[in-house]
Amino acid sequence: MVVLLAMGYLIVASVDHHFDEQDRVAVQGKLELIQNILAMDGPSNQESFALKLKDSLVGHHELVVMVAAGDTVIFRTEHAGFLARYLQDPVNYSVREYVNLHSWQDDGHKYRGIAVILPESPGTKTRFTVAIAIDAQQHITFMDMFKLQLMLVGLVGLVLMGCLGWIVTRRGLMPVSNMARVAEGITAQRIDDRLRLDSLPKELHSLAISFNDMLDRLEGSFHRLSDYASDIAHELRTPVNTLMTQTQVSLSLSRTPDQYREILYSNLEEYERLARIISDMLFLAKADNGLMIPSRQQVKVHNEVGALFEFYDALAAEKNVRLQISGAAELQADPLMIRRALSNLLSNAIRHSQVGSAIEVNIASESGEVRINIANEGDTLTPSQLERVFDRFYRADASRSRGDDGAGLGLGLAITRSIIEAHHGRISAASAHGRTCFFVVIPINA
Amino acid sequence: MKILIVEDEPKTGEYLSQGLSEAGFAIELVQNGDDGLHRALQYEYDLVILDVMLPGLNGWQVLQSIRKHGLQVPVLFLTARDQVEDRVSGLEMGADDYLVKPFSFAELLARVRTILRRGRGGIEAKTLNVADLELDLLRRRATRSGRRIDLTAKEFGLLELLMRRQGEVLPRSLIASQVWDMNFDSDTNVVEVAMRRLRSKVDDAFAPKLIHTVRGMGYVLEEKNT
Ligand SMILES: Nc1ncnc2c1ncn2[C@@H]1O[C@H](COP(=O)(O)OP(=O)(O)O)[C@@H](O)[C@H]1O
Repeated sequence: MVVLLAMGYLIVASVDHHFDEQDRVAVQGKLELIQNILAMDGPSNQESFALKLKDSLVGHHELVVMVAAGDTVIFRTEHAGFLARYLQDPVNYSVREYVNLHSWQDDGHKYRGIAVILPESPGTKTRFTVAIAIDAQQHITFMDMFKLQLMLVGLVGLVLMGCLGWIVTRRGLMPVSNMARVAEGITAQRIDDRLRLDSLPKELHSLAISFNDMLDRLEGSFHRLSDYASDIAHELRTPVNTLMTQTQVSLSLSRTPDQYREILYSNLEEYERLARIISDMLFLAKADNGLMIPSRQQVKVHNEVGALFEFYDALAAEKNVRLQISGAAELQADPLMIRRALSNLLSNAIRHSQVGSAIEVNIASESGEVRINIANEGDTLTPSQLERVFDRFYRADASRSRGDDGAGLGLGLAITRSIIEAHHGRISAASAHGRTCFFVVIPINA
Repeated sequence: MKILIVEDEPKTGEYLSQGLSEAGFAIELVQNGDDGLHRALQYEYDLVILDVMLPGLNGWQVLQSIRKHGLQVPVLFLTARDQVEDRVSGLEMGADDYLVKPFSFAELLARVRTILRRGRGGIEAKTLNVADLELDLLRRRATRSGRRIDLTAKEFGLLELLMRRQGEVLPRSLIASQVWDMNFDSDTNVVEVAMRRLRSKVDDAFAPKLIHTVRGMGYVLEEKNT
């Protein structure tokens, strides 16, 4: 818009200037001519001067000329009245070379021209005054027309440009609004919708890729969350169902006090299981929300393992499983949490150990990290089982899941992992040829 | 022993008072913070059990006011929110202990007794005796009917705990925490196995049996007169 205006202004100004120049040349030419004639004929021969001048003006209707010698007009063309009026007031003009063309208005016409006093030639004492004007009406009319046309063209151009701009932006932003539409369409039920890269211009590819990546992550979290929720529901349903059935059946007949006691005991076990699920879930939820902030104390890993060995001593002895430790390391960590994490690993190892085998715990520290490996001999976990052992509620041996050998809720390893991750560490597992090993790595100064 | 319970959940309050009365305590139950504070300031109690979420003044505020009035009565908090801040702010404000709901009654009872025992120092005994079982605390030796019983260090610790608190039912979680310093929901099965092994050493060859399982609650060591 501004560019358009500036361009218009420049065009008008330059055309104007061009006409100006043309007029100036014409006027100057005539002035020189008059001077020449005057010089040739001298001021005395006014008759021949007028004649010659008239001759030279033939065909130049647009020129208005007036020449005066002293106060006497010696030549004037038609319509020169305005020049005469102008020259009556000497303030208007001077001897100086004219610089700008002067403008006059007369009888609805516009004139441009000059009025000068010619320098007195040595021979004569007469002061000649010459005024030459060009009827600029044509030019002005042309300029007006030109301006009008220019304005029209500009206006149309402007409108066109606006329309075009709108269309182009619309078309250019089409992919973006497509993206917006996809984004609007994504709900919990349709979280697998993605942007199609082939329908997008190159410039938007990286945006679309990050957008899709974000969706992937969200979808992952979302599925985990909803799996999690349904897992919880499922895990709670079983004990609640047992409790309800048992209570209703018990109440349907009158029983002996001993029987009632039995029922209450059995209920209590279910309640304890429920309480355990709840507190474990709370622990995990806290970890998920980044609320699990480990304290930092100097922890001697071998001492922790030693304490756990004492705790599990009876259990291991019962199963005739030997507990062996090698190596030592220290790190900055939350002792209670570390103990809990290792406790789960050790408890699993004992539970899944073959009678008469040994559990080996190896501790080492290298390049700023503490490594704790816990290996036991027992069933081999398949790769697909290994992949899932850290998942919540996952139990590899489904049949034993509710056995009373302390087998848990399938939350133990999930808790262990969340503790280790809260310490910026990592945990993995491997299993082959009847030997299962869990690898824990924790930075010494997390 | 007089205990004030401030608990707004009617069922919980009712069963807590019933359980604690039956355990031999004198119980008063109020249902909101203002009443609780009023009573705590008015009368003398050996312990206040305070729920955190209360109508009116909440548990923290009640505790603060109690302490501001210079009362040193022990306070046990019950909190439903398992949050670190709860623990920190509670203990900083002068609570003596706290339990996170859901907790087992056996656990509560054991904690209550622990708190009440504090400060009643007494003379440190050199030996503990129950029936013909004797524990020599200095030489870390156990004998029954004059016969030496071989115990591991932790078994001795376990037996010592049972004997120090004879007649009290000790839940597994408390035992795990006191004997092995496992202060989290650990594999309670472990305590069972350890207890079984201790029993075989202490009770199998002798009569009467001293260590008893209280189903659903825990273990107790006592000489039962049957
Ligand atoms: N050392 C091991 N050897 C074989 N299987 C194991 C071992 N540790 C864990 N698992 C398997 O991983 C599953 C998940 O373990 P975990 O999360 O601790 O739950 P749970 O409470 O059931 O033990 C277990 O059910 C078990 O099948």
